Amino acid sequence: MMGAMSDSERVGQEKSVVAETVMVGPSPVVPGGMGGEPAHYDMIDAIRRGENVEPTVHEELGAIDSVIHMNDFKLWYGAAQAIHGISMSVPRGAVTALIGPSGCGKSTLLRSINRMNDLIDGVRVEGGITLNGAAVYEPTVDVIELRKRLGMVFQKPNPFPMSIFENVVYPLRIDGERRKSVLAEACERSLKSAAIWDEVKDRLKESALGLSGGQQQRLCIARAVVADPEVLLLDEPCSALDPVATIRIEELITEISERYTVLIVTHNMQQAARVSNYTAFMYLGRLVEYGTTEAMFQNPKLIETAHYVSGRFG
Amino acid sequence: MVWLTGSALVLCLGMIGVLLVLVVANGLRTFWPGDIDRLTLSSGEVVMGIKTAEDTQGRFLYRVGNRDIGQESFRWIDGDEIEHVEQPEDAVMLEREAWGVWFGIPESILIQNEEGGEDGDLVKVTDGSGETLEAFGEMHAEARNRRARGEAMRKRELGKINRGIEAARLAVAEAELGVEQRGYAADRLGWVSWSFVLVCVVFAGIVWWVRRDAGVGIGAAGVRVGKMTRFGCVVVVIFGGVGLWVGGPWKVAGMTGEQRDGVIAASALEQERLQVEYERVLGAVRAGERIDANERFVVIEPTTGRFSPIAQTRGDEPMMLSQVVRLVAANQLSFFGKVKVFGSRWWEFVSTGPREANTEGGVYPVIVGTVLLTLLLTIFVTPLGVIAALYLREYAKQGFGTSVIRVAVNNLAGVPSIVYGVFGLGFFCYTVGRYVDTGPVEGSVLESGVWWGLFGLSVVVAICAFGCGLWGRPDPGHRPRVLHRVLSKLSWVGWGVTVVLLVMVVARTPYFMGFFGARAAEGSPTFGGRGLLWASLTLALLTLPVVIVATEEAIASVPNSMREGSYGCGASKWQTIRRIVLPGAMPGILTGAILAMARGAGEVAPLMLVGAVKLNMDLPVSTTAPFLHADRSFMHLGFHIYDLGFQSPDSQAARPMVWTTTLLFLLIVFALNLTAIMIRSKLRGRMTGAAI
Repeated sequence: MMGAMSDSERVGQEKSVVAETVMVGPSPVVPGGMGGEPAHYDMIDAIRRGENVEPTVHEELGAIDSVIHMNDFKLWYGAAQAIHGISMSVPRGAVTALIGPSGCGKSTLLRSINRMNDLIDGVRVEGGITLNGAAVYEPTVDVIELRKRLGMVFQKPNPFPMSIFENVVYPLRIDGERRKSVLAEACERSLKSAAIWDEVKDRLKESALGLSGGQQQRLCIARAVVADPEVLLLDEPCSALDPVATIRIEELITEISERYTVLIVTHNMQQAARVSNYTAFMYLGRLVEYGTTEAMFQNPKLIETAHYVSGRFG
Repeated sequence: MVWLTGSALVLCLGMIGVLLVLVVANGLRTFWPGDIDRLTLSSGEVVMGIKTAEDTQGRFLYRVGNRDIGQESFRWIDGDEIEHVEQPEDAVMLEREAWGVWFGIPESILIQNEEGGEDGDLVKVTDGSGETLEAFGEMHAEARNRRARGEAMRKRELGKINRGIEAARLAVAEAELGVEQRGYAADRLGWVSWSFVLVCVVFAGIVWWVRRDAGVGIGAAGVRVGKMTRFGCVVVVIFGGVGLWVGGPWKVAGMTGEQRDGVIAASALEQERLQVEYERVLGAVRAGERIDANERFVVIEPTTGRFSPIAQTRGDEPMMLSQVVRLVAANQLSFFGKVKVFGSRWWEFVSTGPREANTEGGVYPVIVGTVLLTLLLTIFVTPLGVIAALYLREYAKQGFGTSVIRVAVNNLAGVPSIVYGVFGLGFFCYTVGRYVDTGPVEGSVLESGVWWGLFGLSVVVAICAFGCGLWGRPDPGHRPRVLHRVLSKLSWVGWGVTVVLLVMVVARTPYFMGFFGARAAEGSPTFGGRGLLWASLTLALLTLPVVIVATEEAIASVPNSMREGSYGCGASKWQTIRRIVLPGAMPGILTGAILAMARGAGEVAPLMLVGAVKLNMDLPVSTTAPFLHADRSFMHLGFHIYDLGFQSPDSQAARPMVWTTTLLFLLIVFALNLTAIMIRSKLRGRMTGAAI
């Protein structure tokens, strides 16, 4: 096996994996595997070599009612392939977390669901995604309508430079809603469900840019839910926030998951453990393991997952 | 390095500072009333005047006025020649309606007996300078008011009657032209062909109505078909409608002989009526003038002992009281009296028209012309530049093409402004303007069949180009194929052909004879000459690069996260641009508009070619319809400065005016910019929430 490795692959490994011991195989021997004996990252190695690997999907996910389903979904940025055929289902009415090291394609995958990647030149896709059974990538799909069915919150809070009220009702405004009473009612409802109503109810007419970072992010969540989306897509919503604001957002996600399906990308393992019901571990554009959060954190089937969630790798 | 960079900055600021100080100091000094000196020269000559400058050889420049008696109004006097200088209490400087200033000693006021008629005796009512000055103070305001009333009447009522007479005369000329046009009447489309076009238009309208929601909201493929259908129908309806309207077979250009005779008779009647009216008003004006002529003012000049005459050719009659614009008894004035004179001179400067080949009086029409020109150019250039920049930044595919366009736009900013002037004169005034006046050039008019053919072709090509554009874009998530590339190239070609065809269709239409043919035939074009509209369009073209570059930068500085947020909410591209990008870029866009304004306000060279004139007291705005007379030539401060300084018959007399005009120009540009900056900061405050 050693002989089959080219030099360049070895260099690549040395760069990306911190090895404390002597390199004896394709992957470093990691001390303290699950049973205490040395372990190899077979799955990760195969992915690095570009082989197609079968993801480990727990049985609990076999019987779920899925709202989003991906079928061998592939995506290229120009000539570079970023997603290598992912098949997975997102369960309805639950919080699903996507975890994995930087550049593993989590955000890309998330943005593929509401076709935000269409905005980037040279993006090409293969395979399909369905939202409630309807294909997302078909020429007959209206992207605008699709995006209205999905709420999205971005990494950096991005309130628009207008008043708090106008920010929240923006999705309704662009839908042509003009009735003041409807807008006011929707604004109050979604600000309440984003747990920010008490803080801003007296200054709805003031600029949203005057809010703190955490408040801005909750405002963005209020904006994302105002049009009653089918799924809420959160792209690392807490990565630009301080710990206190992060906790508020996490509580909010738990609260909001009673009403909406949530798909969240996160870098923070504890966050995934705290807020999500299901967790998917991705690596270099491929799904590695997918199961309930409990199982993924307490009793994962792959050693890679165990080491990743406990912070020993990645 | 700090010293080098710092001193460079200091040098720049210093030069600007010196310029400003020079302009402000000289501009303010001009209207300050100086003391009047009476000099006795060694030759025995007595000279009266105000010292305005001195040179290193001990010579003094005196403003001595009194051009009527044949002297230069400014005179260098050697310091050695001066034997005696005094400042007589009763010396006055008269600012007169004509022939510049007059220095002298007031002697008396004469009143002509009403019964005495024109040549009645003049009776002295005051004698001696003190008494005369006192009486002058009482009588002058009334005399000036009477004169102003007379002049207003002359300008307003007589002007109105004159315009009426002119209109009646033009109606006759138009009627004559109409008969001629009837002779050459362009062939009309037959009823059959016209009905066919009508059927097409109605059919397209019905299709549009039935399919107006087709493809909305059902994705790329459906949207494409729907858009294509709607676009095609709208184009056919709009263009077909226009064609049907201009080319209707029942419409016949020109008029018959009988109609002309009717117009001529009506116009003769109208002219007669107006003539009577004219005589009546003129009588009233003359009566006022006669009263004016009854009050005379004698101011004796020391050298020859002559008084200020009523006119240069009538040196034996003293001037009328009402001819005095302002009397400055400078040597008697207290400081506050001088401030008052200073203020009244400034007020006159900004509120009245020029006199004496622009060297005296005010610059009110010049201010109006400059401000109007600047506003119009901003109104033209801002939307155009913003739309162009929006396309370049938001819609166009970034690549070689857009880079080339950017470089070209930046280079346009470096083209000498006189080139724009030449272009404006040739294209706007002589081509577009002539077309507006008289319609297509004779001989280039197409036959109606050919014209309809070209017209239809342009519609078809436009629809094809639109379709190619739609199908030339691959579905999102797919790679463009060769077919897509070819189609999108074809679309560009199609649009180009459409534009060329449309220009041809408009320029060679047999159905348009011009709006102002009669006047143009007399050699006095309306829009076919130099005017405010073409000048502001030329300057808009000149300042376009500034706006495009500034707007592009402003659009690029709107963070992408804002756009993503908007798209994520389900906004379309146009909704995102309108609600997020444009408001966010607004401060930058206004900065561009301000820069364009500043650049445009300061341009003179192109204006000399396309519309600025030495003197035009007819303001481009008035209370008579259409209120904004964009066809009129106008006065402009920049050109006014050039004219005063270098084209004036008495440049020495005009020099102070150059300073004040420059100062005023700077103030106006500053005020315009300040207004725009204030608007911008208000907007910016709203955008960023800094006000909270």
